[in-house]
Amino acid sequence: MVLITIRTTTLITKFLFVLFCFCSSSLAVGSPPASIVEVTARNILKRHCVSCHGELKVSGLDLRQLETTLIGGSQGPSLVPGKATESLLFLAAAHVGELKMPPGKPALSLQDLEVLRNWINAGAPWASVVASHKESEPTWWSLRSPRRPLIPPVREDTQIRNPIDAFILEKLGEKQLKPAPDTDKRTLIRRAAFDLTGLPPKPEQVEKFLNDPSPDAYEKLLDSFMGSPRYGERWGRHWLDVVRYADSGGYETDEYFPNAWRYRDYVIKSFNENKPYDRFLQEQIAGDELWPDNLDLNKDYYGIAPEKLEHMEAKVGTGLYTFGPEILEDLLDAPKLVNSRLTDWADTTGTVFMGLTVGCARCHTHKFDPISQEDYYRFQAFFAASQPVEIPVVTKMGIFHRNESYPIMLGIDEARRSYRLYLSQLKEKLVDLTKSEFSPKILQAYEITEEKRTPQEKKLALPLILALKSLDENWEDQLTLEEKEEKRKKLQKIGEAVLELPEKDHSHAVTYDGFYDVPKASVLGHREPDLIPRVHVLDRGELDRKGEEVDASVPAIFHYLGNSENESSHVDGAKVHHTRKQLALWLTRPDHPLTARVMVNRLWQWHFGHGIVRTPNDFGVRGDPPTHPELLDWLATEFVSSGWDIKAMHKLIMLSNTYRMTSRYSNLRNIEMDPENHFLWRMNRRRLEAETVWDTLHAVAGTINLKMGGRPVVPSLLEDELAGLPALFLWPVSADPDEHRRRGVYILSRRSFPFPMFRIFDQPDSSISCPSRDETTVATQSLWSLNNKIVLEQATELAKRLVNIDGESASTWVSNLWEITLGRFPSKDEKREALELMKIIENHGELANGWEKMPPVLEEIGPARSSSLIALCLTMFNLNEFLYID
Amino acid sequence: MVKYRNNLQCCNLHEKVGSRREFLAKAGFGFGALALSCLPNEELIASTLKNRGINNPLSPTPPHFPAKAKNVIFMFMKGGPSHIDTFDPKPELNRLDGQFLPPSFRPEELNLQFVKAHEAKLMGSPRTFKKYGKSGIEISDLFSNVGQFADELAVIRSCYHDSIIHNPAVNLAFCGSVRLGHPTLGSWITYGLGTENENLPAFIAMQSGNFAFSDKSFHGSGFLPAVYQATRASSQGPPFQNLDPQPQIGVNNQRRMLEQLHLWNQKHLETRRDDSRLAARISNYQLAFRMQVEAPELTDLTREPKSIQSLYGMDDEKSSEFGRMCLLARRMVERGVRFVQLSQGNWDGHSNCDKNHVDNAGKTDKPIAGLLKDLKQRGLLDTTLVIWIGEFGRTAVAQGDGGRDHNPHGFSCWMAGGGIRGGKVIGATDPLGCRAIEDKVHVHDVHATILSLLGLDHTKLTYLTQGRDMRLTDVGGQNDLSERLTKA
Repeated sequence: MVLITIRTTTLITKFLFVLFCFCSSSLAVGSPPASIVEVTARNILKRHCVSCHGELKVSGLDLRQLETTLIGGSQGPSLVPGKATESLLFLAAAHVGELKMPPGKPALSLQDLEVLRNWINAGAPWASVVASHKESEPTWWSLRSPRRPLIPPVREDTQIRNPIDAFILEKLGEKQLKPAPDTDKRTLIRRAAFDLTGLPPKPEQVEKFLNDPSPDAYEKLLDSFMGSPRYGERWGRHWLDVVRYADSGGYETDEYFPNAWRYRDYVIKSFNENKPYDRFLQEQIAGDELWPDNLDLNKDYYGIAPEKLEHMEAKVGTGLYTFGPEILEDLLDAPKLVNSRLTDWADTTGTVFMGLTVGCARCHTHKFDPISQEDYYRFQAFFAASQPVEIPVVTKMGIFHRNESYPIMLGIDEARRSYRLYLSQLKEKLVDLTKSEFSPKILQAYEITEEKRTPQEKKLALPLILALKSLDENWEDQLTLEEKEEKRKKLQKIGEAVLELPEKDHSHAVTYDGFYDVPKASVLGHREPDLIPRVHVLDRGELDRKGEEVDASVPAIFHYLGNSENESSHVDGAKVHHTRKQLALWLTRPDHPLTARVMVNRLWQWHFGHGIVRTPNDFGVRGDPPTHPELLDWLATEFVSSGWDIKAMHKLIMLSNTYRMTSRYSNLRNIEMDPENHFLWRMNRRRLEAETVWDTLHAVAGTINLKMGGRPVVPSLLEDELAGLPALFLWPVSADPDEHRRRGVYILSRRSFPFPMFRIFDQPDSSISCPSRDETTVATQSLWSLNNKIVLEQATELAKRLVNIDGESASTWVSNLWEITLGRFPSKDEKREALELMKIIENHGELANGWEKMPPVLEEIGPARSSSLIALCLTMFNLNEFLYID
Repeated sequence: MVKYRNNLQCCNLHEKVGSRREFLAKAGFGFGALALSCLPNEELIASTLKNRGINNPLSPTPPHFPAKAKNVIFMFMKGGPSHIDTFDPKPELNRLDGQFLPPSFRPEELNLQFVKAHEAKLMGSPRTFKKYGKSGIEISDLFSNVGQFADELAVIRSCYHDSIIHNPAVNLAFCGSVRLGHPTLGSWITYGLGTENENLPAFIAMQSGNFAFSDKSFHGSGFLPAVYQATRASSQGPPFQNLDPQPQIGVNNQRRMLEQLHLWNQKHLETRRDDSRLAARISNYQLAFRMQVEAPELTDLTREPKSIQSLYGMDDEKSSEFGRMCLLARRMVERGVRFVQLSQGNWDGHSNCDKNHVDNAGKTDKPIAGLLKDLKQRGLLDTTLVIWIGEFGRTAVAQGDGGRDHNPHGFSCWMAGGGIRGGKVIGATDPLGCRAIEDKVHVHDVHATILSLLGLDHTKLTYLTQGRDMRLTDVGGQNDLSERLTKA
């Protein structure tokens, strides 16, 4: 069980780390120094007791300080200094007597008990701790506000490019790991291009960068990549993983969410505009409460004030809470629906913005992190007044214009009715005709309902039943030519009436959704005050086991932070249920312990493949400890003081030496000491993600359609790929084939039917937040790259592209092919081998059949040469060098 | 989140980079023995490649304790077959036909989807039950062929859970949770045991007819790595996606391309020797090529004699499709596929339940009996666990005219093979089949039993995600039946 081996290792590391934290905080005291017994004893308490009898004060007991320990809890004093056998704490831990602690677990080990006994008998010495943090602060690192650490000194003989390097080098030095040298410029531009845009660099971009000797050439390159709209698509996609984005509700019914894509576009736009992260967060949690504008016009007929549009956009951010997984049947049961939504919203908020698994506290107080069940339901209560609503994203004027021409819609409806009416009349006529051929006796038997017919009557009615059944199947064949023509005309009328529909309103300001829908966004709004559900603590998370009613509040562990200026607890009476605003403002206060750390860690992970905390959605006790805690805090404080500037963080990270190291370096000591490259002694090689594979194929083939935004695009699929779909209408293929070549981020994302190629390449399940994607290497990926129709199509397009650049020379094709697909020129050997492969296929290969029609450009070079060039292009798509970025 | 999720990197089929440390250790590279150099030497590389098979996440992994079963054929009857018309006879129900549910059955507390139990009338079963085999297990005429194998079956008549609607109930039956994002049973088992034939997928799912199953609960690996998801197979035509080269390329050209591809990938690897993913992907191309050969053979049923085909009911139009699926399932198990999942239905008899069931049983009775017989005569039944289950049963009270509503409070499933000593009945529902009352078996217990028969301890088969060591059985599964089922 390799998996288990690995887990054990990680757990041990973590355990040691936890110990280390406790020890260092205990040992970091002034005088008198704590004795070994004291430190060990208090560590035992911390390990076994404090998770309940600490911040949570279960049974009123707090074992973090001597005073409170002496006072004890509801069971009385816990400690009698000097007398272990009279101390409840010791007796409970030893399982002597009625109270047995920790609950449901065996007694502490004899060793631990011995330490406790000695310590209590020695008078329970408790050196007052002079820690750098307030005693009221939580003990777990991620729950304390980050403090800006000093940048470590660097040896004079080392060069660093920015403080990141100093932190990284310090750790490498400690571990005696040797850092890798810089990578070459070609590799660097390829790395940066994929990293920032999710696309390979164009040959001319590579050329320009290589020939730019200026010292800021690389920085300019980063600016140009970040300035490209491709940047938002790339980084927006990362964010969509975290917020479990999808266009449908999942489960078998897989309800379609018509407006989810507006949130996707909002995210892409926000990244492209470098929206400050605090604002980005505030908009998603409480855009509607913080910027409560609509698009009503104020004496301005022609335009909408820019800030109104901005506020509208902020509201679309709350769309995050409208596309969670949803069981259709929950809609039948209002309390259950409220409960399942509140659960999804609270869990998602905790995971996405705080990196905490608050959801664990739904059924019981969190077993590892200091979050009580009450905390959890208080957290849910922030959302109690909210509900998803649809709002128009156009002005009242736009709606007016639409309603004005609404009779066109009615026209369609009437045309449809007219057609159906005609059909039913025709059929009725034929039914009457059929009946008239039977005797009245038979007719009489037929009119009696099925259950009431006697066997005799049944027999009588049978021929008529059969005749009518066969009429059902073929009545349309019995129509006269005139009738058929009239039917066709009426059908055509429907089509014509549909085509009458305008796509835009009079002023052309509004483009309709679907046939004729006012464009809308799904966002969070509010319930009527009288209808706001009360939030109760639910025993075991079950709806019918209601406990105490609770109000909205952040988890108690954070109360030490106090209120900051802009989160006044005093709220306007009428807006008393505008609670999400409080949460959003609280989360974005500069001293928040988690918000900035969690986000910079995500950014770091998307640049390097691993976070500083390798569990980006779990900064709690069960998560991985940071490999570079100081660096994380430095970055977090830097992030906040930059004004939560995401692009500035990219630049900071990408300009460092650390980012620019080669991935093709290794030495055995490094590999042995740090095989997973936790300490970043070289750059990690990255495999292209599902969407990036898709985008890259189309980009190098020159077919990619860079149109942005709009409703999800639906590429056509092969029959066997569609086999998992309950009904074909669920996959409404986009009519325009150009749409099939859009970037992956725009492809329809159905929870119950993920785009098959994406799933093969590890696109995550969108039911819950995905902090980091799996990376598997399986044969089905190779089968796809070798045999899928779309791959062949793109290979053909790439061949066309090469022939278009140079119509004759195979040698030029090969050079260009390498440059386009790999960002470099072929070596002499590679060129020779490529030409040989082409020759073999050209001369000896069975002339490839199966082409309905060779594309015109390729016809010029003949089918044999075309086939060989296409085969070569297809081979390139399967290279490791194509799929992995150094 | 999960710590080692991203460490999944693969060799052969797959390999975890996290285990590089292990093969280094295995190769005997001591701490001080290594000189600093820019690139690992050839010896290291060779050992890297030699050892990669060990770390394949789909390579066979020893179970927690000796297993009775090696493979599973999981037959899911979607929609909820009526237990009281199939495997759980209720003479008392027939006697009270047309009457209201007696108050002692607490009709007000019986939560159903559409029907209000206290307002509806009882409906007896139109089916006739008969005792089969030495064990004399009573089974209805809907499954007279399966009845011939009564002495192989362990019928559990006391299954229950509390989800009255399909979506969550299906999720429970497969994933042990009503929430999305949890891995399905087959994924858990593949994760726990790996595969025995790397040229075929470890977990294959097939479904019958026009009732397609899109739901991820059927196929999804949820929070487990995608390696463990089901591969959907079609019972007709090429079994898996992307299996054949496009006609414009053809097999011969593809072989030439693959040869050159291999050389170029090898060259690329030379300066990146310590990245096992790259080597893994190279061997994936060889594997892909082998799959192209082996997989079509798997589904080529013309190799099966006529007698076998008719044993599975393939000569009857009604049962031919499910018969085909059952025969494919046997061929898959024979070739080492760990978990084969057959889904069939719709058994959702809200109106005219009997007609629905006659139809569905007609499609499945003979194929299932054929499968049991064929597995037995080939000696495969000993190590192959066969399971028949739906997401719930149906109500004793009628819905409308002749229909039955959903009933998760008591329903039946059965298991055979995989070490089970058959001819057993476990548990019972009340005399009207409303609720499980004796020896209650929750779906978590069914899962625990299945895992147990495969040598897996359901409390130890865990995966850390969202801050919890997740289990298929959540916090349940205490009523593991495996010991009782395998005893004489």
